Amino acid sequence: MNQPADIEIRHVTKCYSRGGQTLRVLDELDMQMAGGTFYALMGPSGSGKTTLLNLVGGLDTADQGEVVIAGENIAQLSSGQLARWRANNVGFVFQGFNLLPVLTARENVELPLLLAPINRRQRRAQAERALELVGLSDRMNHKPSELSGGQEQRVAIARAIATAPSVILADEPTGDLDRVTADQVLELLQLLNQQLKKTILMVTHDPRAASFADKIVHLDKGKLGRIDDNPTRPATAGR
Amino acid sequence: MALVPFRYNLRSLWVRRSSTLLTMCAIGATVAVLAGMLSLQQGFATMFAESGRDDLAIFLRNGATSEGESGMTREQTELIKKETREISLAADGKPLAAAEMYLAVRRRKVTGGETNVAMRGVEPMTFQVHGDALQINAGRIPIPGSDELIIGQDLVERIADCKIGDTLVINVTPFKIVGTFRGKGGYQSEIWGDLDRLGEALQRPVRSRVIAKIAPNTDLAAIEARYSEDKRVQPKVQTERSYLQSQTQVLSITFTVLGIFLSAIMGLAAVFTGTNAMLSLVSSRTHEIGILLSLGFRPFAVFLAFQMEALLLGTLGGILGCLMVLPFQGAQTGTMNQTFSEVVFAFRTTPSVMLIAILFASLLGLFGGALPAVRAARLRPTEALRRG
Amino acid sequence: MPIKLMLRNVLAHPLRALLTIGSVMVAVFLITLLHAAVAGLDATLQQASANRLLVQSAVSLFVDLPLSYQQKIAAVKGVEAICKWQWFGGRYEQDKGGFFAQFGVDHDTFLLSYPEIEIAEGSAAGFTTERTACIVGCDLAAKYGWKLDQTVPIAGTIFQRTDGKPWEFVIRAIYRSSKTSIDQNTMYFHYDYLRESLETGGARGPEGVGVYMLRVLPSTDTLQLASAVDALFENGPQRVQTTTEAEFNRQFVSMLGDVPGLLKLIGSAVLFAIFFAVLNTMIMAGRERTRDSGVLKALGFGNLVVGGMLVFEGLLVCGLGAIAGAAVVKLLEAPFQAILSARLPGFAFSTQSLLLGCGLAMLIGLVSGIVPGLRVARLTTVQALREVD
Repeated sequence: MNQPADIEIRHVTKCYSRGGQTLRVLDELDMQMAGGTFYALMGPSGSGKTTLLNLVGGLDTADQGEVVIAGENIAQLSSGQLARWRANNVGFVFQGFNLLPVLTARENVELPLLLAPINRRQRRAQAERALELVGLSDRMNHKPSELSGGQEQRVAIARAIATAPSVILADEPTGDLDRVTADQVLELLQLLNQQLKKTILMVTHDPRAASFADKIVHLDKGKLGRIDDNPTRPATAGR
Repeated sequence: MALVPFRYNLRSLWVRRSSTLLTMCAIGATVAVLAGMLSLQQGFATMFAESGRDDLAIFLRNGATSEGESGMTREQTELIKKETREISLAADGKPLAAAEMYLAVRRRKVTGGETNVAMRGVEPMTFQVHGDALQINAGRIPIPGSDELIIGQDLVERIADCKIGDTLVINVTPFKIVGTFRGKGGYQSEIWGDLDRLGEALQRPVRSRVIAKIAPNTDLAAIEARYSEDKRVQPKVQTERSYLQSQTQVLSITFTVLGIFLSAIMGLAAVFTGTNAMLSLVSSRTHEIGILLSLGFRPFAVFLAFQMEALLLGTLGGILGCLMVLPFQGAQTGTMNQTFSEVVFAFRTTPSVMLIAILFASLLGLFGGALPAVRAARLRPTEALRRG
Repeated sequence: MPIKLMLRNVLAHPLRALLTIGSVMVAVFLITLLHAAVAGLDATLQQASANRLLVQSAVSLFVDLPLSYQQKIAAVKGVEAICKWQWFGGRYEQDKGGFFAQFGVDHDTFLLSYPEIEIAEGSAAGFTTERTACIVGCDLAAKYGWKLDQTVPIAGTIFQRTDGKPWEFVIRAIYRSSKTSIDQNTMYFHYDYLRESLETGGARGPEGVGVYMLRVLPSTDTLQLASAVDALFENGPQRVQTTTEAEFNRQFVSMLGDVPGLLKLIGSAVLFAIFFAVLNTMIMAGRERTRDSGVLKALGFGNLVVGGMLVFEGLLVCGLGAIAGAAVVKLLEAPFQAILSARLPGFAFSTQSLLLGCGLAMLIGLVSGIVPGLRVARLTTVQALREVD
């Protein structure tokens, strides 16, 4: 098991040009997130939540500043290096699940493991273990179209943890789910955080979803508002 | 029944314009092959068929299918001229008929290389028989009995030594070019000179045919029947129009068959392409179809909408195909006719060729769109909305 | 697994994959067919013999040369043997559309000068010793169901018998040809039979010879020999033109106009059409899989893998199409050869034609895959994930 990974954002600026105008989405943002903690990232539309998530996940690069994860500054990496880094260090969970429709649940989970130096049998075993963890051992050979939304998202979570990354990034993971299913998914994320010491960064605009996190980060117009300890966090989830 | 507005189709094709354009190109290229072959056929066939006249009779030796094969003696042709009473008379009372000798001769092209050119030995009466259909472009008609030639205008720029004033050596005899003429059809690709002088130069005393002016609607079969018992000559008689048509048949059929063969095979591929493009279009618009259905449009209206779009795609492809062949319009090319001499004809994309091509393309579009349109119409609204 | 994923992607829309494969199949078949036709024309010319020259009228293909020329030409140094060829132009079962070529030849030198002719049935002696004998090609004999020693009536057109009856030739030999310079659809008979009929008044028609074929002694300068023959008749009565066999044959091919050019133009239209069809399919596939590509990138797969998958998909589909096309070509080879053997004896679906067809198909697949492949490789992960198809 990897050490819990700290996330450090130093003077990060990110601009987009839209319709001829330059939009400063992140403005010299400074922020520190402790390893092994479950963060919910909240803020109004356009506050830079998803952009921050993409930068931390190495999907996008900052215009200025440093993004340091587990001691490594990923802002310096080339796109090829970033791809390799992603394969080893982060797992993604998206709002729209983003499973490949032509592959079965197990094959979807095996996908990121293809990039790891392991053989076929190990790959299979690891994928099955991940699916077991999310409670879908009996649906392994089903295609995404044969699964419910909640099941699809759980497969996506299994895919995110299959390579045992230290950081899991989730972008509105419950946006497309009903409340009961959403709770199951959020409890699963909580479980991963508590038992496997994953650092989790979850973008959400739903206060209820945020209530499952340890800490809530408020972003506003590209700047850090404040970081709150979650007051409503159920006592059972304490460390 | 409420129909899906046509605007919807236009917009949809525009939104996916790169795919639309590629499909149009694929259909267009197919149609261009068909249009191209038909244009060649048209250029060739109309040149002959249009120029053939019903008031001219052609007498060939019995059994011959072309001038090149035919051969008659001087006595025989004189007999035909004098004894066929159906032949019209000139102002001076002489029959409007002329004996001619035809031979495909080897000549050098201006661009190098050799080709066969039709050479025709004519009599003074030949020019009267053709009347206004034949016009002197420049220079004059050769003096009867002299070593002079007049050139069909299509040859002037293509064949060496064919300009006015040039000397053209036939076998070992030099002839002088004294004029050029314009005439309908194949005559414009011929060299004309005095019948007897050319016969001598070519060592060919034989005559190929008699051409004669006749009253319209003359019963030619009756002439043929009358001669069939004649020991001296048994000519085969037909109008100039039917003679020329018979001369172009083989090549016309070749172009048409080749065009149909190629477009049938390529059309198959084009239907595949059309189906493919439409299938992808339907699958990417599943959500929209769900909305249409849930709004209350009947499945048949959805079917029509997609079928309409495919039809539109095919028609646009057909138009593109026609545009691809239009730059060749009027381009001249030479080929051999059945008497093995080169005739010049132009690539002619006639309106009817374009119409056939576009109809064919629309048909390809319809075939290609049928299956995807059925698929779209069969979608269940709830499922379509969910899947989108 | 990327391979498996690619296969699954292709199979996800089996109908679409089949349609694309079908288009490529058609293209491969047509291109192979057109190339074979062009190559067939060439082959006919290339198999011409280098030690045979042909003397024809310099004035016209349709003017005969005097009989008296034979002795003068035979006396030129380097001429080993001489053989007359006279086009007969007769009709056989004309009402059934039957047409084939007949030539009157010098029976004593003809077979010796054309070693590519092999007697399949009957004998050379049977042909040479009998005045009314003829030798026919095996394809021709098969077409009309002729047997050895059968009499074939041919109606004369240029040469007509005075008794009004058709000419009669007895088949004393049936030949096969090992080269395309002699086709298997021709009848050859004794020129002397024709000449004697004309001299005795048994028939009417021009007296003369269409072409003299000269067999040249080894190590003779054919160019020099040709100009020596031409010089003999420079001042008439008929000027002649002496050419190699290849050159002689070429004039008949070029007579048809620019056939190879036309076929090439059609071929490029075929390529053009199929290229756009496949490109369209691949671009659609690429667009539909943009989000999948984004997911793969997010998971850490490199641009090369993500773009390469589309390239391989294009190659796979076109490869399958090429295989299907090759199968169709093999299937139709025999019928096409049967149809075209009379007009285009050199026609064959050579491996070369097939490779050209398949190669072009693969090229189409490659380019069609690269276009969408490059696109998804260039998109950033974030853009690709945002894409909604």
